[in-house]
Parts: sequence; C-alpha cells; structure tokens
Amino acid sequence: MYIPYPNWLNTGDNTWQIVAATLVGLMSLPGIAVLYGGLVQKKWVVNTMLMAFTGFGLVLIVWVLWAFNMSFGVPSHFGGSNAHSFLNNVIGHPVPAASHFGEQNQEVLPEGTLIPFHYNAATFIYFQVVFAAITPLLFLGSVLGRMKFKAWLLFVPLWITCVYTVNAFLLWGGGFFAQKGAVDYSGGYVIHLAAGVTGFVAAWVIGPRLERDRKHGVPNNLMMVAVGAGILWLGWNGFNGGDPFYAGTDATAAVLNTNLATAAAMMTWVLMDLFLTKQKKATFLGAINGMIVGLVAITPGAGWVNGYGALAEGFIASGIVWVSWYYLSKVRPFSKVDDALGVVYTHGIAGLTGGLLVGFFADPGMLEYIGTGKAAPGFSVNGLFYTGSWHQIWEQLIAATWVICFTAIVSFVLLQIIKVVVGLRESDENLEVGDLAIHNEEVEPKETFAERLGSGGFRELEPSGV
Amino acid sequence: MKLVVAVVKPFKLDDVKEALKTLGVHGLTVTEVQGFGRQRGHTEVYRGAEYEVEFVPKVRLEIVVDDDQVEEVTNAVVDTAGTGKIGDGKVWVLPVDDVIRVRTGERGHDAL
Repeated sequence: MYIPYPNWLNTGDNTWQIVAATLVGLMSLPGIAVLYGGLVQKKWVVNTMLMAFTGFGLVLIVWVLWAFNMSFGVPSHFGGSNAHSFLNNVIGHPVPAASHFGEQNQEVLPEGTLIPFHYNAATFIYFQVVFAAITPLLFLGSVLGRMKFKAWLLFVPLWITCVYTVNAFLLWGGGFFAQKGAVDYSGGYVIHLAAGVTGFVAAWVIGPRLERDRKHGVPNNLMMVAVGAGILWLGWNGFNGGDPFYAGTDATAAVLNTNLATAAAMMTWVLMDLFLTKQKKATFLGAINGMIVGLVAITPGAGWVNGYGALAEGFIASGIVWVSWYYLSKVRPFSKVDDALGVVYTHGIAGLTGGLLVGFFADPGMLEYIGTGKAAPGFSVNGLFYTGSWHQIWEQLIAATWVICFTAIVSFVLLQIIKVVVGLRESDENLEVGDLAIHNEEVEPKETFAERLGSGGFRELEPSGV
Repeated sequence: MKLVVAVVKPFKLDDVKEALKTLGVHGLTVTEVQGFGRQRGHTEVYRGAEYEVEFVPKVRLEIVVDDDQVEEVTNAVVDTAGTGKIGDGKVWVLPVDDVIRVRTGERGHDAL
C-alpha cells in the first residue's frame, strides 16, 4: 500500500512555498527580462534578455551542485575553537543537493532553523534558488550595453559562489550576523544591497557604454516595461510572502505590508516628480522607479513591521532614493560611473535604507512565529520606536557595512580575473552594432528584407494533394 | 509630367487626400518621415534624463500628375494642409521623364 506523502509534510505549506517560489521565478523570467528589455534601445534588447535568461540558468546549476549548501548547510570551520567566531560561521560546506534524499527528505537547516520545515528539501532549495537567481539579473541593469557576453557567463556563477553564498549564510544560514541578531526578512541586504554594490563596481570596472548609446539611450517599449513592472510588483507577494516559510499569519501580513510600502513609495515618487522637478510632470518611468524602491525597501522587514511602518518605510525610502537619483548622481563617484539603469539607487540605497529602517519600525507585536508558552515567546523584532532600544539598528548597520565592503571587494577581484581570462567589454565594432554583431539576432526582424539561406529543405515542399 | 512632393503635418493627411480625390487625382504614395524647417522640436524626459528631439513627425506625399494639373494640385495641398503656424510644411515639383503602369505596361500619360 502506498501513501502520498510523509506525515511531517503539510500540503498547505508545501503548496504555498512552491507557488511563492514560482512567483519569484516569474519576476526574473519574464519580469526582469522584459522590464529591462523595454528600457534599453532596440539594438540591445536581445543581448539584455539573453543575459537575463542565461544568468538565471547558470545560477540554478551551480546552486544545486554546491551553492545551496554553502548558503544553508553545515558550517565550515576555519577559525579555531570558538564555536561562535566569525570564521566558524561564515560559510557552509560546498556539497551538492541533488540526490534523492537531497531533494525529498524533510528540510532542516543544520544551523539556525527556528522551526523544522513542514516540507521537503526540494521545496526549500527551489525557493531559495529563485532569490539567488534574480540577484545577478538585477545588477545586469548596471552593466548592460557593453559587458562582454562571455564575461557575463563567467561572472554570474563565480559571483554566486564567492559573494552570494557568504552573505546568505551570514544572515540566513544561521551564520555570524544572524547569531548577533541582524535580520533580513527576504533579502534587502543579501539581494538588493549586494546587487546595487556589485552593479556599481562592475559598471565602474567595465567602463561606460559608448557615448553615442548614452546620448540616444531612450527606452524602446514602455508597454513591455509595464508588463515587467506589474509582474515584479505582484510577484513580490511570493518574494516576501514566502519568507516566513510557513503559510501562516505572518506570510499574508508580509504580503499586505509589501503592497502598502510599494504603493506609498510609488506615489511619493510620482508626486515628487510632479512638484519638485524642473518640468513639473508626473512620469510613468518615475512611477516605476518609486514602485521598485518600495518593493526593495520593505524586503528586509516585511513581516516584522506593521501596516503603518510599511507605509512609512515606502514613503521615506522613496524620498531618499528620489533625492539620490536626481542629486547624488551628479557628484563623484556616482557621476563618473555609467550605472545604466541606476541599480545602485533603486536597489542599493533602497535596500540599505530598508535594512536600517527595520531597526526603527519593527513592531514586537508582529509575530513571525507564535510562542508556545512563557518559556518560548513568539519570534519578532524590536524596533526603536516600540522598545526604545538602538540594538537592532546597530546590528543592521554592522551587517550592512559587511555586505557593502565584502561584496565590493570580491566583485572587484572576480572582475579583474575575468578581464585577464576573457576580457570584460565587447569590442567597439560590436558595441556600435549591438545585438546583430553579438548574437546574429535582432528584436524585430523585417520579413521584407530577410531571406532564408540553405539548399533544399524548406524550398522543396509540395502540397500533398491528399 | 511632374512629381509633386509635399511634406505636411500628419493630422492634415486626411484633408489633403480628400481634396486630391475631388480633383480626380487617382493615386498617391505616402510615407511617415521626420523633419524640421523652422519648427522647433521638443524635449522628452526618461527616468529623469532629458533628451532633445529636433525632428518632428510629418507625412510625405508623392503624386505624379500631368503638367496641366500641377497648379491645381499644389494649390489644393497648400489650401488644405495649412494651419497658419510654423511647421505647416513644403511642396516642391520635379520633372518626370517617364511613368509606367506595372500591370499593363502603359507609358506616359496613359499610365497616370
């Protein structure tokens, strides 16, 4: 006799978790692919989209082969006898997670699991990989339009292996900063701050787009931008709603908070454009920027702030990033680096802001997990405005400092290695032409002018007459 | 025979087309073009970056007519396409050596 699933598996939790993961996956493909595809010039659409798709695929492969367990597995020990030292809590063993038991056993994190999960490992591995996979797609926005395609194919797996896994283990895998009490609900630091920093460093090292491309750098399809942006907004319901790892009350509270912060941030940007710019007009792309800032800023704390905190975080982060976008961008070093889509602002600064604001707005009454008695109070985070304690803010600041410095330095080193192996920029001849030179494809081929080559085959088709 | 080329504002195309039909002009070719003369362009803003667009969308009409129809055709274009503002466009006239109807091979006046 067979039974369909083991008794530790809760089908509701398993369902929501894999649905949430799918929503996050959609945010990458096609979300980011068409959002960025619509923002670039026509000559760069294919290159941009292919970097998005290949980036996603490369992360999936290295994730299962070693990167998942580096991020969430058994800790490696590098630092002597103190069990809580930094070097003993920085990274997990790089072992694969693809065996039958690696996929179907109950998921348990060796370190720092607050509650055992009520689903199997494949669910958790897949949920986590879509987060890892979107991160390079975010910093793609900084380097598009000139990064050598082969260099991208090398940089993505190396970056995941050397940078993402470390930050993830430190904050989520039960590592050093998690033990200190720093928090990152869904990846404001691990994903967005890291992507912003990496994008900025890479844009600086690789060098700018051609002057002519920067001069004529208008978006080619705002409707596609809208499609991508809509998928991002609603897909984030999975991004934040999946991170309590249970289909419980905190999951849906996080979803509601996410949407509140996003709406507040979007409207803040729209109104600031309308009243504070020289042209005094609301713009669609400004609205999308605001939307992204809100989504990013709520990410470090979606299930730990209440609705008022979410609205406040959206409003504050949007204001800060709006000012950065229009004014900080004009001063060094920002003015000297061609971060093509402004990822350092909408993901870097927004993620940093959100990660610090958690320390202010986290409401201890927002329980991620419920306490079972006096000995086990529920799990929540203590923000300054509710408890008067600066402790959380301090831990958030330290963790942010690590993420920024570590990510910048290692990204820089990886890029220098790739520069020697394969080069970082496409040739100037390729940059002038774009997609056709690099991929022999264009985004809208013209049937009138394209003639099929090749002997026989497609020409010699006769109607069969039966 | 002459080739009359007219560059006019896109929203005036319908009026010009109807006026030409009234005159008995049987065919014309239209393309969408960008151009400027004295008309100034405009500014577009994407993600906070300003872009100057010097060109203005126009439509270009090409009509081949008999010599004796040139004046009434150019007058029709000028009368219907004009708004009195800068950017109304221009008309110019070129000589045509020959015209051939592709379907029948007719040449010259018979091809018009």
